[in-house]
Amino acid sequence: MSEDIALMAHLMRRAGFGASRAELERHAARGYEATVEWLLRPGDPGDFAEDIAKRRAVGFDEGGAAFELWMVRMIHTNNPLEEKMALFLHSLFPVQYMSQGRALLNQLDNFRRHAFGSFRDLLLALSRDPAMLLFLNNNDNHRDAMNENYGRELVELFSMGVGNYTESDVKQCARAFTGWTLGNADYMAVRAGKNSFDPYGSIAWHFEYRPDDHDDGSKGFLGESGPFDGEDICGIIARQPAAARFICARLFLFFASDDIDDEGRKAIDDMVETYYESGYELRAVLRALFNSAYFKSDAARFARVKAPVELVIGAVRMTGASPTPGAGSAGANGASAAMGQALFRPPSVEGWHEGKEWIESGALVQRVNYVAALFRDADKPGVRDIIDRIARSNGGVYSPEQAIALCLDLIGPVTASQETRDQLLEFAARQGSVDLRDPDADDARTRIAQILALITAAPEYQFA
Amino acid sequence: MFDLEYVKTIGGGRKIRPYDMAFAADGSIYVLNHATGFGAGRFTVCNLDEDIIAELPDDAGDGAFAQAVSLAFDSEERMFVLDEAKSRVTILDRQARFLDRWGEPGSAPGQLDRPSALRFDRNGDCYVSDQMNHRVQKFTPDGRFLLQWGEYGSGPGQFDMPWGLNLDSRGDVYVADWRNDRVQKFTPDGQFIASFGEPGRGDGQFDRPSCVVVDDGGYIYVGDWGNERVQVLDPDGGFITILRGQATLSLWASRFIDSNPDEKRTREASNLYPSLPPELESPFHASSQTEPYFFGITSLHLDDQGRLYVVESRRQRFQVYQTG
Repeated sequence: MSEDIALMAHLMRRAGFGASRAELERHAARGYEATVEWLLRPGDPGDFAEDIAKRRAVGFDEGGAAFELWMVRMIHTNNPLEEKMALFLHSLFPVQYMSQGRALLNQLDNFRRHAFGSFRDLLLALSRDPAMLLFLNNNDNHRDAMNENYGRELVELFSMGVGNYTESDVKQCARAFTGWTLGNADYMAVRAGKNSFDPYGSIAWHFEYRPDDHDDGSKGFLGESGPFDGEDICGIIARQPAAARFICARLFLFFASDDIDDEGRKAIDDMVETYYESGYELRAVLRALFNSAYFKSDAARFARVKAPVELVIGAVRMTGASPTPGAGSAGANGASAAMGQALFRPPSVEGWHEGKEWIESGALVQRVNYVAALFRDADKPGVRDIIDRIARSNGGVYSPEQAIALCLDLIGPVTASQETRDQLLEFAARQGSVDLRDPDADDARTRIAQILALITAAPEYQFA
Repeated sequence: MFDLEYVKTIGGGRKIRPYDMAFAADGSIYVLNHATGFGAGRFTVCNLDEDIIAELPDDAGDGAFAQAVSLAFDSEERMFVLDEAKSRVTILDRQARFLDRWGEPGSAPGQLDRPSALRFDRNGDCYVSDQMNHRVQKFTPDGRFLLQWGEYGSGPGQFDMPWGLNLDSRGDVYVADWRNDRVQKFTPDGQFIASFGEPGRGDGQFDRPSCVVVDDGGYIYVGDWGNERVQVLDPDGGFITILRGQATLSLWASRFIDSNPDEKRTREASNLYPSLPPELESPFHASSQTEPYFFGITSLHLDDQGRLYVVESRRQRFQVYQTG
């Protein structure tokens, strides 16, 4: 296994959903930093055949079908980091499904537009997102009847955290967002509350600013004062050291490690410095993270438990289980939900608790079963590619030890413990060496697929 | 001078969830619903005065329809229902009782792969748009294969997932060549005559057209599905006009609104033609946000009085316009 490939695999597991060996080789040929730049500058995402999904089902973007569409996009996108950021932002700014899948798909578009721009602009876009406004009742935040929900969560959960603002700041923040609402807010709120599709089906939501309902009086917020509106508030927040540290730490926890140790704190310090130098630009912050010595270190590898969505999408992408976008997401949405991560149904406004909780919650069996079933199928395009690579690699006849080493390499590379290797060997040794010289040797190909499936059941595979 | 005038909207209030429709000889409108439940059966029979005449059951002879997408009456007033998912034609009487079926999945002549539309010619034979086989096939009413044309591609006479089709008064066949963003015209035996349109949002351009109907004067009405509009072309395919939709409350919708005072009050204070931010200005987003606009046009029909019916699968209604 070459170090270049191992490092590239690490980057792609974190900044994407993993990658096939052919993709890793392409990225490695381009170089690490160039690949980081490629990830940070999304191009054409590809054709997700949304027209076909839309033709096949009238409610293609409603209810669970909307989440399926996002899964399809994650599986097929040419811009893995863009979708990973959308997933990060969905977890950071979680909203619950409220009668309208379209609003959530539009929110994801909103996230994609701002995922690599300034944190200020991202907060501004969030503050104008109809799904968020309705979820946190900002449609009820009026000049003469304030509702603090959005203002409070903006400073507490979305940008700075407890201890970095006062109760007065919350109130002044909420005042600044009065009049920030949905078009036809009252009608939309009544319909959403009743889950009403009458008389003529769903009416999608859009942002509307109502100057006549906005409190344009002077406000004192985080030590500054003036006739602030929401745009000013987002600018003030983005300048705060607490906000810089908050967003950098959250990005670190999502992309680098489940825990922050002393070395991690130093990496976050560097991200914070970049945050200010770049004018709060998330692209620059991510660049600093992915190019940091911490991120590239051995200690950072396999240090994060894969979230269910990452696990499922990674497996589907690598096995090529859903080669045609219009064919759906191979049950990815349901599988992820069964493992504890149902998109747009986060457990609370704090999003999901990442890390070891994913595998301590009894979902491990679901994780193993879903992924192993994909890799056990030697006819899946991605599995077939791995087997073909093994067959070509060194004469075509392999001892059990050699077969296991090649499988561990090509499925990751995955660095397995001695215990895992022993268990794999015990399985593989039962039938002796593997002869892949005949491309039609189905038994031998199936044995390789079984080894791959067994690897996905090992503890190491649960980590990114 | 070509003229089109809005007449009315029929639907709403959970009465219909239409995908296609057909006119019976007595003038009643048989609506094929894409979904049942919430008050809608598989077929709703109504008239232009918005009387509900009947709700007919969902019986394909061996259970419910899987994905019923097209409905047409034959000369004996039997209902022919195309099931896209099951790739077959089910024949029902006017009470939607099972009579017969034909068709099976496959790509051989006479077999079907996700068929999308069925229409009869004056001789009583029917044409079927065979979506995933990228061709048109012609059958007798009892399912005997007569002829086929087309293959996958973008050249003249080729198709990419054709959807709706229809015939003009001379029997020529018009096909909504969906993923090629055009409408093609053929002789009754499948000889290519002309192609109208190209990809785009401009006049005379299409984005995934779903359906087409031709009036006695040869004017061509195209359901420009991806652009969420109807385009009218002259008999030579020249652009005439665009309809964007202007639905008003139907009788049923009015009753629903009147019986839900909270929705009535807040609706009446709403602007149903909102101005939208730039990221929501695409035809799809505009229609999803603007209730009176067409949304999800799946079929077009002309009655014997020259009225155009625009079936909107995503708005639980159809809009009626007078041509002339």
